[in-house]
Formats: sequence, structure tokens, C-alpha cells
Amino acid sequence: MARTYEEIEDDLIKTSSGSAPFRRMVREILGMRRDSAILVTTVVVTAIAGTLYPLALGYAVNAILGHNIRLMEYFAGSFFLLYVIQFFSNRVRTIKSTKLAQTEIKSLRDRAFTNLQYVPEDFYSKVKTGYLISRITNDAETLSEFLTFQLPSVISGISTVVVSISIMFYKDFDLTLYALIIIPVLMAFTISIQPRVRDNYLRTRKTIAAITGNLAENIAAIRTIKAFNVEEKVQDKYRGLNQENFTANMRASKLSSSYGAIIRLLEAAGIIIVILAGALQLIHGRTTVGLLVAFIVYVQEFFDPVIQLSQLYNSYQSSLVGIARIYGIIDHPAEENVGDTNEKLVFRDSIEITGLSFSYGQGDALSKIDLKIRKGEKIAIVGHTGAGKTTLSNLLLKFYHPVVGEIRIDGRDLADIPTRSYRKLMTPVLQDPFLFRGTVLENILFVEPSATREQVESLIERFGLSGIFASLPDGVDTNVGEMGRNLSEGQRQAVSILRAFVRDPEILILDEPTSQIDPYSEKLIIEALRNFLREKTLILITHRFSMIVLAEKIVVLQNGNIIEEGTFNELVKKNGVFSGMYRIQYGDT
Amino acid sequence: MAILSRISAGAKKVLGIFYPFKFSLPYLKGRYGIVAVVIIAGIVSSVSRLLIPVFIGEAVTKIENLSYSGVLSVGLLIIAASAVTAVFQFIVSYGSLYVSQKFEYNLRNDAFWHLLRKNYSFYEGQTSGDLLSRNTMDVHAVRNFLNNLFSQMLPTIFLIVFALYFLFSINPYFALIFLVAVPLLILTGAIFQKKQRTRWRRIRTYYGLMNERLQENIVGNRVVRGFSAEDLEIQRFSQTTGSYYDEYMEVAKLRGFYNNIMPLIVSAAATGVLIYGGYSDIISSAAVGPLVAAVNIFSLMSSPVSSFGRLIVFSENARAGIERISTLLETSMEEDVDNKNSVNLSGSITIRDVSFHKGGKKILKGINLEIRPGEFTAITGRTGSGKTTLVSMIPRFYDPDEGDILIGTKDVRKIPLAALRRHVSLVPQEINLLSGTIRENISFHREGISLADVRRAARIAEIDDFVMSLPDGYDTQVGERGITLSGGQKQRVALARTIAGLPGVIILDDATSSVDPETELRIFNNIRQEIRSATILLVTHRPSALKYADSVWKLENGEIFPVIDVSVDLQGITDGIRMNFYEVDHGKDI
Ligand SMILES: Nc1ncnc2c1ncn2[C@@H]1O[C@H](COP(=O)(O)OP(=O)(O)OP(=O)(O)O)[C@@H](O)[C@H]1O
Ligand SMILES: Nc1ncnc2c1ncn2[C@@H]1O[C@H](COP(=O)(O)OP(=O)(O)OP(=O)(O)O)[C@@H](O)[C@H]1O
Ligand SMILES: [Mg+2]
Ligand SMILES: [Mg+2]
Repeated sequence: MARTYEEIEDDLIKTSSGSAPFRRMVREILGMRRDSAILVTTVVVTAIAGTLYPLALGYAVNAILGHNIRLMEYFAGSFFLLYVIQFFSNRVRTIKSTKLAQTEIKSLRDRAFTNLQYVPEDFYSKVKTGYLISRITNDAETLSEFLTFQLPSVISGISTVVVSISIMFYKDFDLTLYALIIIPVLMAFTISIQPRVRDNYLRTRKTIAAITGNLAENIAAIRTIKAFNVEEKVQDKYRGLNQENFTANMRASKLSSSYGAIIRLLEAAGIIIVILAGALQLIHGRTTVGLLVAFIVYVQEFFDPVIQLSQLYNSYQSSLVGIARIYGIIDHPAEENVGDTNEKLVFRDSIEITGLSFSYGQGDALSKIDLKIRKGEKIAIVGHTGAGKTTLSNLLLKFYHPVVGEIRIDGRDLADIPTRSYRKLMTPVLQDPFLFRGTVLENILFVEPSATREQVESLIERFGLSGIFASLPDGVDTNVGEMGRNLSEGQRQAVSILRAFVRDPEILILDEPTSQIDPYSEKLIIEALRNFLREKTLILITHRFSMIVLAEKIVVLQNGNIIEEGTFNELVKKNGVFSGMYRIQYGDT
Repeated sequence: MAILSRISAGAKKVLGIFYPFKFSLPYLKGRYGIVAVVIIAGIVSSVSRLLIPVFIGEAVTKIENLSYSGVLSVGLLIIAASAVTAVFQFIVSYGSLYVSQKFEYNLRNDAFWHLLRKNYSFYEGQTSGDLLSRNTMDVHAVRNFLNNLFSQMLPTIFLIVFALYFLFSINPYFALIFLVAVPLLILTGAIFQKKQRTRWRRIRTYYGLMNERLQENIVGNRVVRGFSAEDLEIQRFSQTTGSYYDEYMEVAKLRGFYNNIMPLIVSAAATGVLIYGGYSDIISSAAVGPLVAAVNIFSLMSSPVSSFGRLIVFSENARAGIERISTLLETSMEEDVDNKNSVNLSGSITIRDVSFHKGGKKILKGINLEIRPGEFTAITGRTGSGKTTLVSMIPRFYDPDEGDILIGTKDVRKIPLAALRRHVSLVPQEINLLSGTIRENISFHREGISLADVRRAARIAEIDDFVMSLPDGYDTQVGERGITLSGGQKQRVALARTIAGLPGVIILDDATSSVDPETELRIFNNIRQEIRSATILLVTHRPSALKYADSVWKLENGEIFPVIDVSVDLQGITDGIRMNFYEVDHGKDI
């Protein structure tokens, strides 16, 4: 059994050299030089101001003791001034840290989205929509808190630790060493639980992605769920996933809460070591009381950021999973040669398919196809359901690539032609007429922004579709709803057809374009097409023979093979598969 | 007076930061004890934490007195206090995570419960991406608030209360100076809150939009690619993330100012205390110790005050989330799917004077139709004539604006939905399979039916042969939305799914449009032969299918007419291109 995308992803996260994705992100953030420099500066200024006001307070107190009102006012003023400075630097810091964090998050999202446009088509049959959404929206969101609040506190934490350690060493070297004894213990402890921490976070992210995936699928299928009255079953499944997420969350919570508690104990141990060692040294006359008192204060100050930093390490682990995942999407190998060279491709002669076989994984969906489509030719591909018709059009549209054999256009292998330049030659009407939210008009203009409303309206007229759209409340300005659900199925298909025709392409690939449209309207479309198709190349997939009047050549597919080929008359006389199909539809009349 | 009332109004508004907490209470039912324990543990741990510096001070005194044994015993006290702190801190941290996650769990289940009961009309106005974000991130925003409230805010509130108490005991005037700062803090908080509110609403909305765009792009990726519209899509997505970013920056600017001005107000008060205390100490030559203590307490307070500002941020985010979740939780637009009473239903259908509007247009105008049990009835009509609308009313996906629909003699509105939908099964035009195996899809609503039954249904739907030809047979995974099946295969699996449910009425809404006519006719044949008892209602455009019907109807301009002679009565609907040798030969020179 092939491994799923999620399994592969998990392995990658477990084995990837830990912090690589994180370092990459930090590099990207630091790449925003100006803002990150300002952020670091404000953090340091805040930290320095923070260490100074006890000093100002002290001087003010001395002034009070010295009965010097002017000096007292002066130092009280500086005391306040320090807070004002802190206000300004904190203000800039708040804004800059958000800016850096949100810029990075936006950029991660945009890049992931961009790459999704170019990943191979079969990526989408491997990964669930909900999982992808979860990675790009949810996972990136969890970064926000980490980047906005926690990363800046790393900088201030580190600077405080450095300052206090230097002062401590300066004051008393031996005692400082005693104070630091606890640090390796703390580090060893923190590192030793890391695998568990990471497993926990992996599990929580995974269970939340499962919830999102399940939700997305259920919402998409809500009409089916209701139609079959399986609400309860679906609810139970969801509750199960929700329960798993809760359990995973609680496991992670237990670990992080115990961690916090144990760190407190370690801190106390550290302080006691200093007190005892200090007391011993005092007894042996190696230190003074004043020094020891000052020292204890520093030890306390020093532990706060250390603890903060080690706790940060945990939330770093949790965001690491999200980061790794989103980079996973950004880095997923894209299709080769998609690029938009400015080269405007011209179709001169023919598309030639030779010895083509294709498989979606198991069993050939197409085998040994040889077919030549000359420029201006109109060919129809017919065959029973599942014969491989859509697959062939998928290959012609370069959604998939031949496993064996090749497709050449004017002698050039399709693989060597930039996909997007190639696709500009043609427009498809897909079997599933997917529409975007927005109005009918917007859906049509989406593919051809330069077209005008009048053009669209005259096109509707020309293809006899005005009858179909007449029943829409606001005509072409009617909102089609999500996936076009506020239209009737045939209306959706009509929009999908118009969308293709408005482009005035050289090659048309139509996959069952009128399967849901009534024959009378279809007739109007066909009649308009006769004119429209002049000079154009048509590749038409259909079950309905009415459209075959447009075709000069017919190719019959069965189980992935071409079994018959020729003109309508030839095939009808032949008494083969095609004539059988023909008789079923028209034999009686 | 006016100022006082403004302050009290402000205070009321600031208390609004607890609104998400109030909202969460019903979801914490049965766990109020835990909430109480967490709060008490928060108080204990903040007290015991305050004790540690006191003990350290004592240790210093012992050291000054060179009492080594005294140092040891104080050391033990420190350990004890730390241990107590550690234990209680664990309770606070674990407890608040437990409470907030339990809340999230309950709310998510509840929201989903409601979602499953919303009717079809509700979903017409929603998008899946947005609904998804309401159920995930919006819920999460509330959970974050709760966790912060319990683990950080309640303890800091106690710290503030303790500090005030100390201040009061040192010098009541000091406490008064602090109390002067309070209204200022409240006003700032209220303004901060107010200014953020619309921002967070927009942030949550844009987040939903981002989900929407993403979802649409993924589902419609072939259209995007097929029309080389990638750049346009990227630009649209980037616009949405851009708006999201802009709103976040607006909040950051507000936070930058208000969240930092609050501690500044406190330190201004501290400076006031310092100067006032300084003058009076200099004048009265009093000891300076209490003054230093008071100023220190003030400095200590600036951090809780600024985290209060942060809580306002969390609370506004949560509030915006709650507003969005609430549209799911309210019971409007819901249908009762839980009444499982079974009812004996006949196969006859009566449609009486049914009218229906959509978007201001009258789609059906007084439809009357009678279908006898076991009959095979076909309805045809032009695209957009209202066929789907009409048949959707039988299993009550929609209810008519006027008129009634009866199954047997029972009004469908009086039949429990579960029973009605089990009895009337509709195969829609737009197929939705779920990820899973083919077998799971077919027995989706009747878990536990035997493979033989699944295969029987599949045989009628003419899909069994294909499935058996697959290496994994009925255990083949179909992928999301059945992505690995061809159009006609999907439709036939959906058909088999309906047949497997043994319904009394089968409605086929153009359910074989992607199936080739040969297979389609075999399917109709099978249905006629094998499911004799069921009433069949077929919606179709294909004249070839009409010959199986006992009676044929056409919908036109919102009215229904019987079709007697297919070749005459269906002009303008099913009279398409005529196929004949002549025309095709002729077609060569187009
Ligand atoms: N993404 C996919 N992954 C795996 N198998 C697939 C995939 N898409 C199609 N197939 C299989 O390939 C075969 C050919 O499918 P194709 O969609 O080309 O059929 P078709 O001729 O278009 O049929 P229809 O008329 O029903 O649309 C089918 O058996 C189908 O199950
Ligand atoms: N959810 C909706 N909101 C607004 N209008 C709708 C909605 N669903 C359908 N309509 C409109 O109601 C009319 C009838 O639609 P319906 O789907 O019933 O047509 P139909 O006869 O089934 O067409 P088709 O043959 O194309 O499936 C159409 O004009 C359509 O645009
Ligand atoms: Mg197909
Ligand atoms: Mg319809």
C-alpha cells in the first residue's frame, strides 16, 4: 500500500535535521534587515531601561535621605523618563514584531499557495483538501503567537542573561560557578524530554488536521449526508476525532505543565546552592555579607529569563511542526517546465500521439494510443463510461504526462514546451463544470479579463443560451453561489461552455459539454458552433451522438484502447462498437 | 457627575472582556468544580511564590548573623515553598489547559451538531471554507482566551489586590494615588477595546475568506490550470492575505499605543508616590523604607497591568470568533433529523398546487401531479425549468411556498425526516462521494449490510463488473469526492448507494448524464426488472430514456403538462439535432 502524503510528511519532520526549517524561517525574517534591526534595538533599549530604573530609584532615595529636594525631583523625573523611553521603545517593538511576524506568515502562505498552482495534478488525489487548508491557514496561524510575542522575548532574555552572568563573574568567580551548576541539569532535562515534546506536538497538529479534513469533507458532502440521514454516524466519527485531539492536547499539556513545575524546583535548588555555598565561603572568610546579598539578587534575576528561555524551547517545538509542514508544501516539487516563456506558441500543423500509454498507478488507463489531429480537424472521441476519454483529454491538457510514448505538437514533444504557453492555445470544457463564487459574468471574465460585458452578452445570444439564462433572477449578474450551486446543473454547464468560447481559442477540448443541457438548447449551440469552429481544431468527447455532426473523424475508445477510427459513415457501416452505440440512441426512430 | 457616569460605563465595558468567559460557561457544565480548584490554586501559588523572596531575605539575615544552621533551615523553607508553588502551578497550568480544551471540545461538537441540522437553504448562503474556519480558528480564539484567563489573568488580578492591600497598609495616601490612576486605566482600556472590535471582526472574516479562496482553488484547480489563470488566482489570494495582514497591523498599532500607555499610567502614579512621599519624608524626616517598598510595588504592578491589555486583545479576538460561531449555534434554519420513529409509507406521491420562489423569481406555479405506487414516471423540461427544484421538495430539501406534497395520504411535513428520507431517495445531478472505499460509499447509510447486498445494488447500477475488475475490488479507495473514478463511474456508484438503501421511492435527477446511453438503458432495464415495488421518478433530457416511463411530464414556464406523444409534445425540449447519414456527409464541408 502506497504511503500517504501525511505519513511521508511525518517521517520528514521526525528525521529532518531538527531545526533546519526553523533556521530557514529565521533567516527569512532577518532578511528584512531594517525592521529586524529596529526590533532588536528596541528590545535592547527596553531591557536597558528596565535595568536602570532601580538605579534611578536608588539615587532618588539617597536624595531623600540627604534632604535634597532638587536632586530628588531630578531623579524622580529620570525615573519617570525611563518609563517614557520604555513606552516608546515598547510601542515600536510591538508594531515591528507584529510586522515581521505577519509579513513572514503572509509570505509563507502566499508561497505555499503559489506552489500549489504548479504541483503535479496527482498531488490533489493524494492529499485531502482539508489537510492542505489546515496547513496553510491553521498551522501558519500558530506561528503568529510564537513570532510576535515569544521570539522577541528570546532576544531580551538572552541579553539579560548575558548581562547578569558577566556582572556575576565580575563580582565573584567561584560563587558564579556554583550558581551555574544547575544550568547543565536544566539543559539536560530540557533536551531529554524533547523527543516526547515533539511527538506530542506532532500528534496534536495531526489530530487537528484530521478534524479539519473531516470537517471540510463533511461540509462539502452535507447534502448527501442529509439526503441519507446519516447525521448521527457522521457526528460520532467527528466526535471521535475531536476526542483524539483532546487526548493529544491533554497529553501535551501534562508534559508542559510538569515541565514548568519541575523547572521551579530546579530554580529553588539553584538558589539554595548559592546560599549554602555562599554561607560556607562566608564562614571561611572568602566573601563578604554585602557581596553575598547582592549576588543572591542577581541569581534570582538571572533565573527568570533562563526559565523563560527553556519554556520557549517547548513552544518552539510546537511551531516547528507547523513550519516544517508549510515548507513541505512550498518545497513540494512542482511540475517541470510550467514557466511562462514569452514565447507565443503557434499551432501550425498537427498534434501527434504516438505509442502512448498511461496509468494512474495500477492498470493502464490508456494503452498504445496512436492518433494524429491535424490543425483545423474536428474529431470526436466516444466510448463507454470509464473507457479513458477524460484521461486522454487530461493528457492533451498536460494535466498528466504519458508513461510511455509521447505527444508532439508540430513535431515538438509536449514535455519540452512550457505548459502555460501550450495551454494558451486551447480552452477546455471539463466534465465537471466547476464555477467560482461570484456572478455568471465574473466567471466568464475570469478567464478572459479583457472581454467586455457586451461581448459576453452577444456570445450568449449567438449560442442560443439566452433562453437558459432567462430564468436567472439577475441575468448574467446573478450570483452563482459556491461551486455554482445556485444555478441549475445545465446552467452551470452553459457557463462553463461560454467560459471556453469567450477565449476564442485555436483548439477546443470539450468533455461532455452538453450532458446536462436539453437537446433543443444543444441544437442551438451546435448550430452556432458550426460557424464558430471554422479554422479551429476540435477535440470532442461525448456520449451523445447529436454533437457528432460536428466531427469529421471519430475515434472509439474501449478499455483504454482505440478500437475503431473513421468517419461516421464508415463506422456505422462497420457493425462494430460504434454502430451498436448509434443504434441504441437512434435505432428506434 | 458626567465624568463619573462615563467611567462607570467604561468600567462596564471593560468588564466586557469577560464576555467570552460568560459564553463558555454552558460548555463547562459539570466542571465548575475544576474551574474553582484552578482559581484557588492560582491564588495559593501566587501567595507561595511571594513567600520565596521573603524567605530569601530571611536567609540573608541568617547569613549576616553567621548562623549556618539557621541558613540550612531557611533553605529547607525555600525548598518547601518552591515545592508547594510547583505543585500548585502544575494544577493551575494543567487545569486551565484542561478547562479551555474541554471547552473547545464541547463547543466543536456542539457546533458540528448544529451544522448537521441546518437545512439546505442555510448552506446556500454559506461557503464551506468559511464554515470550516468558524469551526476551527474561531473556536480556537475563544479557547486561547480562556487558557490565558485562568493561567495568567486570575493570578495577576490577585497580585494586584494583594499589592493594593500592602500599599494601603504602608500608607493609605499611596493607595489613594493608585486609585486615581484606576479610572484612567479603565478609560484607556475601554477605548482600546472599542477601537479593536471592528478590526478583530474583520480579521476573523478575512481568515474565513482565506479559507474560502484556498478551498475553491484546490477544488477547482483543473479549471484554474486549464485556463492558465494561476497568476490571477495567486493575485487574488495574496490580496486576501494582504487585507488580513493590514488588519493585523492596525491592531498592532493600537496595541503599540494603548497596551503600553497602561503601564505608563501606573508608573506615572509611582512617580507621583515617589515625589509626594519624598517631600513628606524630607519634611517629616520619616524612614524611607516604606516609600521604597511602595514604589517597588508599583513597578511590580506595571507588568500585570500590561498583560491586562493583552487580555483585552485576546478577549476581542474571542468575541469576534463567538459572533461568527453564534450563527451556527442559533437554532434557526434547522430541521429535525432526530425523530427516528418509523412510519409505514406508501409509494404514491401527490403534488398539490405547489408553488415555489427562489431569488424573487417564481419557479413553480401551482404544480399538480399524481404518481401511483410502483409507477415509473419521467419528467423532462428545458435547462433551468425547475425540475430539480420540484423533485427536491419530495424528500423535503426545500418546502413549497404554497401547496402540499403527500406520500400516500400523509403530508411530507408531518413525516419524521429520517423516515421520509429513508423512504425517498434522490440521486442528484451533482454527485458527491466520500473518501473511503467503494464498498463504504455504497453502504454509507446502511452500515453492516452484506457484500452480497452491496454487489446486488452495484449490479443493478451496472458498476459491479468494473469494480470487480479492479485489483482491490470493493475495497478500492475512491479518493476525495471520488476523484479517482470517471464521471460515469461516480454516477453509478451513487446510484448503487441509493439502491442499496432499498427505498420505496427512487428519484433519479439526470443521474446518468455521464453514462453512455447503452449502459444507461441497461440500468433502466435493471431497475424495471429488479426493483419492481419502488416508485421511480426520472428527470431526464434524453428522449431515449423516456420509453421506459409509464407516464411522461414536461415542465414549462413553471407549469407541468402531460406528454402524450413524445415527438409532438416535446418540441422545443428534446428535439435536438437529427442524426442521419445525409447530414453528416453534408457536414463535411462546414
Ligand atoms: N485520478 C485517477 N486515479 C486513478 N484512476 C483514475 C483516475 N482518474 C480516472 N481513473 C480511472 O481511469 C479509467 C478511465 O477514466 P476516464 O475518466 O478517462 O474515463 P471516461 O472515459 O472519461 O469515462 P466517463 O465517460 O465515465 O467520464 C477509469 O477506470 C477510472 O477509474
Ligand atoms: N439555490 C438557488 N438559488 C437561487 N436560484 C436557484 C437556486 N437553485 C436553482 N435556482 C434557479 O431556479 C431555476 C430552476 O432550477 P432547477 O435546478 O430546478 O432547474 P432544472 O430544471 O433542474 O435544470 P437542469 O436541467 O439544468 O438541471 C433556475 O433558473 C435556477 O437558476
Ligand atoms: Mg470522463
Ligand atoms: Mg436539474
